Amino acid sequence: MAMRELVTGGAACAVPGSSSSSNPLGALANALVGSSSKIEEKIKEIPTSIPSSSERHFYPEANDHLGALDQPFVDPNSQGSEFLRGFRSAAQGELAAAWDEIQGPLGRESQSHIPQLDHVYDRAAITQPQQPILDGPPQRVLSSFLHSFVDSSRGGVPFRPTPLPILGLSEGDKQCIRDRSSIMARHFFADKSEDFINAQVNALLCSLDIDGNAQAKGPLPGRYRELEDYWNESQGILKPGPPAADGWVAEFNQQRMEHGDGDAWAHSYEQQHGANGWASEFEKSQLTLVDQMRGANISNLAMEQTRMLANTLAQNDDPKFQNSKFLQFVSKMSRGELIIDDNQVKESALPATGDWAAEYQQQYNRSPAWADEFLSHGPDQWANEFAMQAERHGPVDDQWVNEFSKLHVHDWAEEFEHQVGEGVLGENSADNWANAYDEYLNEQVAAKQRSDTSRGLYVFSDMNPYVGHPNPLKEGQELFRKGLLSEAVLALEAEVLKNPDNAEGWRLLGIAHAENDDDQQAIAAMMRAQEADPTNLEVLLSLGVSHTNELEQAAALKYLYGWLRHHPKYGTLAPPELSDSLYYADVARLFNEAAQMSPDDADVHIVLGVLYNLSREYDKAIESFQTALKLKPHDYSLWNKLGATQANSVQSGDAILAYQKALDLKPNYVRAWANMGISYANQGMYEESVRYYVRALAMNPKADNAWQYLRISLSCASRNDMLEACDSRNLDVLQKEFPL
Amino acid sequence: MADSTNQLKSDALLEQMKQHLASDAGKELTKKINLVYQFNIAPKKIGFDEVIYTVDLKKGEVCKGPYEGGKPDATFSFKDEDFVKVALGKMNPQIAFMRGAMKIKGSLSAAQKFTPDIFPKPSKM
Repeated sequence: MAMRELVTGGAACAVPGSSSSSNPLGALANALVGSSSKIEEKIKEIPTSIPSSSERHFYPEANDHLGALDQPFVDPNSQGSEFLRGFRSAAQGELAAAWDEIQGPLGRESQSHIPQLDHVYDRAAITQPQQPILDGPPQRVLSSFLHSFVDSSRGGVPFRPTPLPILGLSEGDKQCIRDRSSIMARHFFADKSEDFINAQVNALLCSLDIDGNAQAKGPLPGRYRELEDYWNESQGILKPGPPAADGWVAEFNQQRMEHGDGDAWAHSYEQQHGANGWASEFEKSQLTLVDQMRGANISNLAMEQTRMLANTLAQNDDPKFQNSKFLQFVSKMSRGELIIDDNQVKESALPATGDWAAEYQQQYNRSPAWADEFLSHGPDQWANEFAMQAERHGPVDDQWVNEFSKLHVHDWAEEFEHQVGEGVLGENSADNWANAYDEYLNEQVAAKQRSDTSRGLYVFSDMNPYVGHPNPLKEGQELFRKGLLSEAVLALEAEVLKNPDNAEGWRLLGIAHAENDDDQQAIAAMMRAQEADPTNLEVLLSLGVSHTNELEQAAALKYLYGWLRHHPKYGTLAPPELSDSLYYADVARLFNEAAQMSPDDADVHIVLGVLYNLSREYDKAIESFQTALKLKPHDYSLWNKLGATQANSVQSGDAILAYQKALDLKPNYVRAWANMGISYANQGMYEESVRYYVRALAMNPKADNAWQYLRISLSCASRNDMLEACDSRNLDVLQKEFPL
Repeated sequence: MADSTNQLKSDALLEQMKQHLASDAGKELTKKINLVYQFNIAPKKIGFDEVIYTVDLKKGEVCKGPYEGGKPDATFSFKDEDFVKVALGKMNPQIAFMRGAMKIKGSLSAAQKFTPDIFPKPSKM
């Protein structure tokens, strides 16, 4: 995390529990970066209308920033007029459509603009400032308004403060908007200067009557009186400010340019940040956080900056803020106890005492919230959204807008009145905000967890060449038989897409995934197979095995019992009423009875072996598998089961022999290769383990477990030089470095 | 194992850890780390219905229950699921800590030596 981001990450760094919001931090960032926020002040002066004088003032400055931007953007100044010429030759219909597109989020309201626009366009002069029509119920107003904020990001144009009707935002909502918009703005304007971002955010907050300093404000500032009247008369139409004609043309052109250039924009974003850039950057910096805490040099510059920062922070006399963890963190940094070096936060070479741990924890106690927010809400999601913007000109990042808009708007008016009535807007309000924000975050986390538990959904590959194949099942079986597991997976996916009720298709797909060392997908496919054919014994056994692997003991027991119950021979042993309350001991007893009934049935020994794995009676499990192997010596998956059991009972040497047998029978058995790696790693032979993991991954790059284990083995083998190749999943480099 | 439904996933990993510490690689590990960790593992929510394990990497032992030889060098609190994620390298301990999925008491320098590589990895059938 760069120092700058740490500070200007604003809301991200703000501690939700305190009232220190993004904006004090934003201001600090400015102080730190050495530029004052003139723009902000200007905007504050012009909250209700847009006098053209300050408008003009505003633009040159903003354009300066634009000029200094990174290069993916087309410089609007130099090419604007050329673009405008091209634009003039465009048919009016297109223009209208384009306008519609820009204004898409505003829905029908935007229609009313089009005639005006045509008119305006013909004369190349402006009669109306570019504003969404902001009337209707509060929710729609807010939504439109936030959409226009997002739109401004596409154009990279300054966002102008706009008078709005009273929305009745609760303090909690305001807090959310303030914090989220600060974060989002830094994503939208990732390549803009801080001043620009702050100006954008302040313009937004100003319009919504959200005080940037997170202090409570009078509920109805006088300047909105007039608007309130309008509102009450259900007019809600804005009194248009004096038109800033030139500004509008420029703005419009910029917006068009940018729109046409959507691909480039998304592309550049991805280039800069990588698809998962932010997430991985964050993770990486966290990874190194502790590893590299020692022996670092204190960077004088960073110290100096943090000292300034600490001073500035200390001048904020909000007691809440004074107690904030962020301030503690910064002042600690300024004292040299924490340092920033190479963009990483490090502890300086102080002795790490027990106290430090406690303090550290205290400092970060609240941080999980923001980390969670990012993780749950997802940098991925953001990145994806940006990437998708190219395809869908539509407002993809409107998601966060919608989220704001959904903030219980119907309750706002009530809550607002309530708060005013109680005079809550006094000193307690900060706590209210904090609580609201915390609640909001908790909701987000809960939502994330729900999505985690809703796994078990099968995830199809995109770009499947077997879709449309005349007989994908046959093809899949053939590929599976040849041991081409990943190809077989594709063909079988094509089959189950074609015939979703084909139990055999799903079953084989599940087996292919299991052999490919992907239990999540294996379980998902097998569950579909079981849906289609609830009594299929092979499916039930596979589900039992996969759940055992995933340490899901209760589920595993259920399926193994299901196997017994649906078995034509042993089904009579299993009383159906037992399945409601399964106890391991009962199930084990029943299986032992079955094994006595027909000692020559390899399958019953296999299930028994799995069952003993579940209870971690590994010696008995090994015995069962060995018995089964005498009956079925060519069953490669059985050899692997034996090996895995031996490995889990710390007989890694024997396990390797068993895996070798499995691989002799099926050379492309990814799971066995990965298990080999595990056995070597568990014996402390990390370099060897790396070779096996790489071999497994070469056959199935989607085997996430193997990637995780590979990473551990690389660092244990002191091969940190290869960690980057591992993190970027660069198999070529790894295979060259670690041939088997 | 009377009732498998009350089992934690972590039980399986810690059982394997117990056996692992008796092996040569495990003995290396005790030499290298030489600390005592205590794990408080909760089925659903940190602090509730916790099962306590002591992983003594001085003596090379895993026992159920709190450490009896004094104060552990570091105590970690986890949800069952998160412990498994960290022990298997699916979640990095720093991230777990930042996210509040792992709570630490005790010495930070001891806590820093708690990394996924001290745990043996389960093999898959």
